[in-house]
Amino acid sequence: MTVPVLEAKGISRMFGHVRALDNAHFDIYPGEVVALIGDNGAGKSTLVKALSGNLAIDSGEILFDGEPVQFTSPNQASALGIETVHQDLALAPHLDPVQNMYLGREIMQDGIGKLFGFMKTAEMREKSRIAFDELGATVRSLTLPVGSMSGGQRQAIAIARAVSWANRVVFLDEPTAALGVRQTKNVLETIRRVRDKGIAVVFISHSMPHVMEVSDRVQVLRLGASAATLTTSKTSMEELVGLMTGASTKGIS
Amino acid sequence: MSDTKIDESGPETTLIDLRNAERGGAVRRLLRAQSFQILLVLLVIVAIFSAIAPDYFAQLSNFRLIVQNASILAVIGVGMTFIIITSGIDLSVGSVLVFSGVVAAMVMRAIGGDGWGVAFIGIVVAILSGLAWGILNGVLIAKAKVPPLIVTLGSMGMALGFAQILTGGIDIREAPAVLSDVIGYGNVLGTVPVLSVIALVIVVIGAIVLHYTRFGRYTYAVGSSEEASRRVGVKVDRHLIKVYALSGALSGFAGILSLAQFNTTAIAGQSTTNLNVIAAVVIGGTSLFGGLGTIFGTVVGLFIPAVLQNGFVITGVQPFWQQVAVGAVLIVAVYVDQARRSSALRGGQSTSSLWRRLVTRSPK
Amino acid sequence: MKWNRTALGILALGASAGLLLTGCSNGSTPGAGSSDSGAYKIAFVQGVAGDEFYISMQCGIEAAAKKAGATVTTQGPAKFDPTLQKPLVDSVVASKPDALLIAATDVTAMRTPIKAAADAGIKVVLVDTTVDDPSFAVSQISSDNVGGGKAAFDAIKQANPDGGKVLVVSVDPGISTTDARVKGFEDATAADSSFDYLGVQYSHNEPATAAEIVTAALQKDPDIVGIFATNLFSAEGTATGVKQADKADSVTIVGFDAGPAQVKQLQEGTVQALVAQEPATIGTDAVEQAIASLKGETVTAEIQTGFTILTRDNLAGEGADAVYKSSC
Repeated sequence: MTVPVLEAKGISRMFGHVRALDNAHFDIYPGEVVALIGDNGAGKSTLVKALSGNLAIDSGEILFDGEPVQFTSPNQASALGIETVHQDLALAPHLDPVQNMYLGREIMQDGIGKLFGFMKTAEMREKSRIAFDELGATVRSLTLPVGSMSGGQRQAIAIARAVSWANRVVFLDEPTAALGVRQTKNVLETIRRVRDKGIAVVFISHSMPHVMEVSDRVQVLRLGASAATLTTSKTSMEELVGLMTGASTKGIS
Repeated sequence: MSDTKIDESGPETTLIDLRNAERGGAVRRLLRAQSFQILLVLLVIVAIFSAIAPDYFAQLSNFRLIVQNASILAVIGVGMTFIIITSGIDLSVGSVLVFSGVVAAMVMRAIGGDGWGVAFIGIVVAILSGLAWGILNGVLIAKAKVPPLIVTLGSMGMALGFAQILTGGIDIREAPAVLSDVIGYGNVLGTVPVLSVIALVIVVIGAIVLHYTRFGRYTYAVGSSEEASRRVGVKVDRHLIKVYALSGALSGFAGILSLAQFNTTAIAGQSTTNLNVIAAVVIGGTSLFGGLGTIFGTVVGLFIPAVLQNGFVITGVQPFWQQVAVGAVLIVAVYVDQARRSSALRGGQSTSSLWRRLVTRSPK
Repeated sequence: MKWNRTALGILALGASAGLLLTGCSNGSTPGAGSSDSGAYKIAFVQGVAGDEFYISMQCGIEAAAKKAGATVTTQGPAKFDPTLQKPLVDSVVASKPDALLIAATDVTAMRTPIKAAADAGIKVVLVDTTVDDPSFAVSQISSDNVGGGKAAFDAIKQANPDGGKVLVVSVDPGISTTDARVKGFEDATAADSSFDYLGVQYSHNEPATAAEIVTAALQKDPDIVGIFATNLFSAEGTATGVKQADKADSVTIVGFDAGPAQVKQLQEGTVQALVAQEPATIGTDAVEQAIASLKGETVTAEIQTGFTILTRDNLAGEGADAVYKSSC
């Protein structure tokens, strides 16, 4: 754990006169869950967009495996193994889990079959099944449309899809928002399994109990700047809430 | 789309029950599919008319003509199914058909001759003319973001207008003899109309493309959630253009088939073709909201109005009743689609059966 | 809530089933007697359903059939469109009538389907319109349309002895009857140098389109003295267009056909004359020819029926019988 897989050094971004990111820092190591927290408007989503290639930065530096990179498109981030699961999941509700899993990246048949656009359906199904099994995802059926499934199941499918494409860093934007107790438990378990595969997980959440439960470290953003970086086991919910709201301060580690 | 709506009450089945869920699922899903249920409706209608008029309706020669008359609509219906699955609509098909027939007829007249050579050129010209309108529709819809209803309403008028400009409104009644003799009124194996064989080939190819290729997969994905498709890297704009181009090309091909069948460009005709085809696609279970539908359903959906009309004429019913009956079938079909969608999005049985829905009481 | 929707669905299905049943019970009167019992089954296919011209023809057919002891079923497409009429004809042929009386909607497109009826042993009589090479038909009965067109010109000339610009609003090219009316009018205009012929415009049988054409034409040539509208819907639209352009005083409109709408316009003075065909006579003649052919008697291959010029003056008297009926 010497080099962070992804690191942001003093990045800033203005929207008109609004300073969305102000000299912010962020780092994450392989096989680690880092929670990114902050009040509404603290710059969480701006930071995630910058780190996933969806937004250009005005100043600062982004390092991938210690090497400086300049993201110009999300595809470039994807190519490096970085994926984001947005809150709306980006699943097509009428398609089944396998079809969603490989949407846009279908495994095509060889030779003449590929020419006519035929896919390797069996292979995609088998690989999806393995991926869901590995994450302990509770997918009710591989052939029902995902629109008919519960929020937890859809979240699991979206995470499994991101993980199957990204082998380095996965951003999860509010994955437990509005989930029931049992579904939340399953999603958090899925996050741990992703981490155990050696993938870095950035967990963006408003839910302090979930942050405390699943993360290894917490990075707090306030007013576009890094307010603190803490080891989860050595902090408390009260301290985190204090840092988010500015009621207490703590030196940046 | 309410795919972000979270359902908290749904029971979370612990761990994977996939193997069970898939066994026997195929048959059950077939029985539940709306297109299959519509097929049953069609068979009931056929049975009723056969009982009333066994000597006239239930004759092979009669069925042969019903199939022949539905053939051109089936060709257009394939393209329309793709479009409606993307949650679009194409009102221009009838006019594009006429336009393509006119252009092909003019080119063939200019070349002259009655052989296959000129007929083949005519077929290619018709397809290309239709393709051009389809691409125009697609670009305006995907790139200029004009709603499909408006774009195709506009191109519907434009295509017909150009057809009238080109001809001065006077039908061209010359087409190579082979077109009419072989394609229009020829038969395979003595009794099967060539026109219907051509339509069947296109229907089968269309079904394979829709259900087994990446192109078909993207068609469903774009209709299901354009945003999701875009996010995962599907080139949504390009795909929409391709789908409208496909519909245009098939309408163009239908134009040459119509020329072969009627031996005239029938500029004043095809005035309700677009609505008839859309009705057939919807009756066949394709959702106007996109993401759902089958080619098979469209074909069955075409035969319901065709059989109703034929049966009503044979039993001597006033012609106006056919429109009433088809209208009622259409509304019921859309009602069932709505009910099914809301059920699916509630997280319940996604493919709630028509019969269970209408015949038995839902719990509570 | 859930149940309500289910109930609604049952209602909807029930309603459509009900419609089907009423539809079927209405239709339980197809000619039961086959041809050998003497009760001939005659099928009549109109050019378009709901048009008074064809209804009047239907009245003539039904009256003549009743006299001859034959049964009649009438069908018509929703629009004057060969792509809609062909499936109808195919279905009628499948019902195996003894005779088919048909107003073809296109000279080329309808030829093969109608010929198929003749090939199946059905006696075909072409009424009002015809098709290319109609040798398979036992008889063709229509108005003398060229003469009708000439009569329309005479009516315009009578009102405008000094001549001037004249326009024709027709249906669609390719319909034998209206084409002949246009030709008759054109020939008559060409023979009279005081009249300036502005050509023919096509309304596609839509009154709204005819109205638009006429308003536009009057915009371009405000001094038009006469317009000949070659059929029912064209005349209806033409009158509307002239009224819209506020030219009712200076334009003489001559309509073809005499439906209730035309007659009303004639009474109101919007239309100055009507060339009325004799659809009931066409229908009667058609039945007579069909039955003669079925009985193996001599058949007249071509019959031309006459026409009546209706003006406000003769409407109450001798012209009253010439007015078309909207029901028998």
